[in-house]
Amino acid sequence: MTFLHPLALLGLAAAALPALLHLLERRTPPEAEFPPLRYLRDAERQSARRLRLRHLLLLILRTALVAVIVLAAARPIVPTGRGGGGGRSGAVHAPTALAVVLDNSLSAGAVVDGRPVLDRLKALARASLAQATAGDRLWLVLADGVARAGSREALLASADGATATPQRLEVVPAVERAARLVAAEPLPAREVHVLSDLQRTALGTGTVDVPDVALLVLAPPERVPANRGVAAARAGEGGLGLTIAVSGTPGAGAAPLVARLHAPGNGPAGGRAREVGRTLAAPGQSVTLPLPPLAPGWWMGEVWLDADELRGDDRRLFVVRVAPPASVAADAGVGPFVAAALAVLRVAKRVTTGGGVSIGERLGAAHSVVLPPGDPALLGQVNRALSARGVRWHFGAPGPPGTIASADLAMVRGVQVNRRYRLEGTEGDSGVVATVSGEPWLVRDGGVVLVGSRLDTTWTALPAAPGFVPFVDALANRIARGEALVAEAVGVPRVQFVTRGADTVGATVFGPDPRESDLTPGTPDELHRSFPGARVLDEAGLAAERFAGARRADVSGLLLGFALLLAAIELAVASMSR
Amino acid sequence: MVDSRRLDLLDPAEVARLGGIEIVAQGVVEGFLAGIHRSPFRGFSVEFTEHRAYQPGDELRYLDWKILARADRLFVKQFEEETNLRAMILLDASRSMAWRGDPARLTKRGYADRLVAALALILLRQRDATGLMTFDEAVRQVIPARVKAGQWTRLVRGLIDTPDGLGTAAEAALRQLAGLLARRGLVVLVSDLLLDRELALTALRYLRHRGHQVIVLHVMDPAELDLAGPPEVRFRDPESAASVVVRPRELAGAYAATVRREIAGWRTACRRHGVAYHHIRTDMPFGMALRLLA
Repeated sequence: MTFLHPLALLGLAAAALPALLHLLERRTPPEAEFPPLRYLRDAERQSARRLRLRHLLLLILRTALVAVIVLAAARPIVPTGRGGGGGRSGAVHAPTALAVVLDNSLSAGAVVDGRPVLDRLKALARASLAQATAGDRLWLVLADGVARAGSREALLASADGATATPQRLEVVPAVERAARLVAAEPLPAREVHVLSDLQRTALGTGTVDVPDVALLVLAPPERVPANRGVAAARAGEGGLGLTIAVSGTPGAGAAPLVARLHAPGNGPAGGRAREVGRTLAAPGQSVTLPLPPLAPGWWMGEVWLDADELRGDDRRLFVVRVAPPASVAADAGVGPFVAAALAVLRVAKRVTTGGGVSIGERLGAAHSVVLPPGDPALLGQVNRALSARGVRWHFGAPGPPGTIASADLAMVRGVQVNRRYRLEGTEGDSGVVATVSGEPWLVRDGGVVLVGSRLDTTWTALPAAPGFVPFVDALANRIARGEALVAEAVGVPRVQFVTRGADTVGATVFGPDPRESDLTPGTPDELHRSFPGARVLDEAGLAAERFAGARRADVSGLLLGFALLLAAIELAVASMSR
Repeated sequence: MVDSRRLDLLDPAEVARLGGIEIVAQGVVEGFLAGIHRSPFRGFSVEFTEHRAYQPGDELRYLDWKILARADRLFVKQFEEETNLRAMILLDASRSMAWRGDPARLTKRGYADRLVAALALILLRQRDATGLMTFDEAVRQVIPARVKAGQWTRLVRGLIDTPDGLGTAAEAALRQLAGLLARRGLVVLVSDLLLDRELALTALRYLRHRGHQVIVLHVMDPAELDLAGPPEVRFRDPESAASVVVRPRELAGAYAATVRREIAGWRTACRRHGVAYHHIRTDMPFGMALRLLA
């Protein structure tokens, strides 16, 4: 048994009042003459036993009456077991540590049966939180994965204010964290309510198995709407084409999509958009739309899909960087492959001949791409020149072979490198563009780019790879100039440009997580694997099982009834011989 | 002069406010005799001695019809042996008799004084020699039974002059009385009977054995019959100073039963020994009390 107002138990001291009053009352009775005292004594002698019993009974009744009233005021709650009106408003339960995981990720914005899934989830979260009492410890976990502790009112406000965000909720890790939070609380009961559409892609491979925590998982919806979303929209180097990937619920048919471009300086919110392409695409497909010749600059565009049940993923922004052709001068030491690539790029007007960017074994006047010299004896000379220029990187000892890894240069990822020099820097890994075996292979510092291998097939397979020409293009037009690749991030759809002085040197395109477009829920087996000890319940089941482990009955009403009974008995006993 | 109403039927306390014992007793007796139209206590002699003026209450059979026919005046005949009745009234003047449960009522002693005075007046009007003995722990005053003029005044004076005493020892008074009464007579004991019953009954039995007619008037205040008072009270015996703390409401039932049992015990014991017993409450009109004796 626990008490909602345990401080009221201090009032149990009042149970001594009847005895004290009895003693106080006896202390100074008034005095009166009464001649037939002998009759009185006879009467008292004859009824002494009965009176003693009656006094004792009255004392017990009055003491019990006070004690019962005090107990009732302390609001005692006792376990009542499961079932039976658990969802009723104001149900009493033992102090519980409760974490509500409310999945307000993008997918929760899908409209099912005319109502956003998120509204349904919020209503359930509100029901869970509303039943909390002052003795409970509460957390609310939203799609950002942050466990917010707070009062019932504060968390109710947070739940009510939750909107579908582009963020993705990794359900299993979030539930795991929530379960561990509540498990650490020294309270009689611990529960985690998982209110999510339980997308299969959000379940991952983890498992939530925290002992002594009741895990109540809302069953995924039975009907899954067919949804399509723009998973990606990326322009190629130099704006040569726009690659669009479509994701969504498997089985959803193709839907029309359209790409539009805004003039440089005009975002999606302003200026007229120019349609640059239109096609059909189904989830899982990737299409490439040619872009018209674009003037140098930063172009912003967007791809639209026809509206469906989930609107949040029907649009994705993209940025096209069209740089003016770099003037490139390559020395004789660069080898035939680089010379050939530059020739191709000159034909495509991606580069011109000039001294803007030098590629070779030596440092040029302006932007330089420095390759290791073919003669190892010259390595020290090159390093001294780099040092003299103030470059913080230099060529080191030969490194082991490996494959190229780069977030920036997708065209060279996985390409084999057989020979290379280690690139050693003085200030950590700043400026690393690509690595081989985890060690810097392509670095940039100021206007100088160092490549760890000569661009020759004896050093690396890169010259023979399809991405070689684009790689050289990127080297000359972007990396040597210090421009960053257009980055992508999850967030509210927008574009954030990176500037250096008056120049724009990069951009980050924010958009929803493409995995949110697949609304397929996890199967029962997958749910069981992710949440082994959980109970997967529909709305009614959740309402019934909410706080079920800690459900208690408030017996103060019963106690008050008992107190009334005691009072009636006391009255009867007290007036029995009057 | 007393009220012309029937004082014997009025509330005793109200009657007591009309005057002293003599006035009240006379008024009560007048009313009482007017009500019953005959003398309550009749002598048992047959020898005529003299005439006296008729008084209301005298039995008509003793009316001298010849004088009535001759002189048109009412005289009754008195007989020689009529004065043979010697009545002795024993009044309990103990401290317990000076108690009343309600200031609006007479104390037991106040009631008993007036009742005794009235009774004595009736007896003396019948030419019965009447005496008085008051007692508490001891005999306080003794007025031998006489029939001569002024006897009633002496008796009343004796009542007035007897202060409220202390304890009660009726058996001593009764035994002393037995020695005073040489001839058979009437003994009236007026008391609240808060005394040793066995000893008192032994003395009463002795009187009966000597051939006396004995009447016991048990005077009680109504508050002695039903226990009442504050929730808790310490009751003290005015005679012994003993005390006991009780809750009247709790004990009322048992107390009433005890009192009823005590009264019944006195009545039964008295009947067994040939003693007349009458229970009298101090709120009872004097006439009703006297009627019990008629």
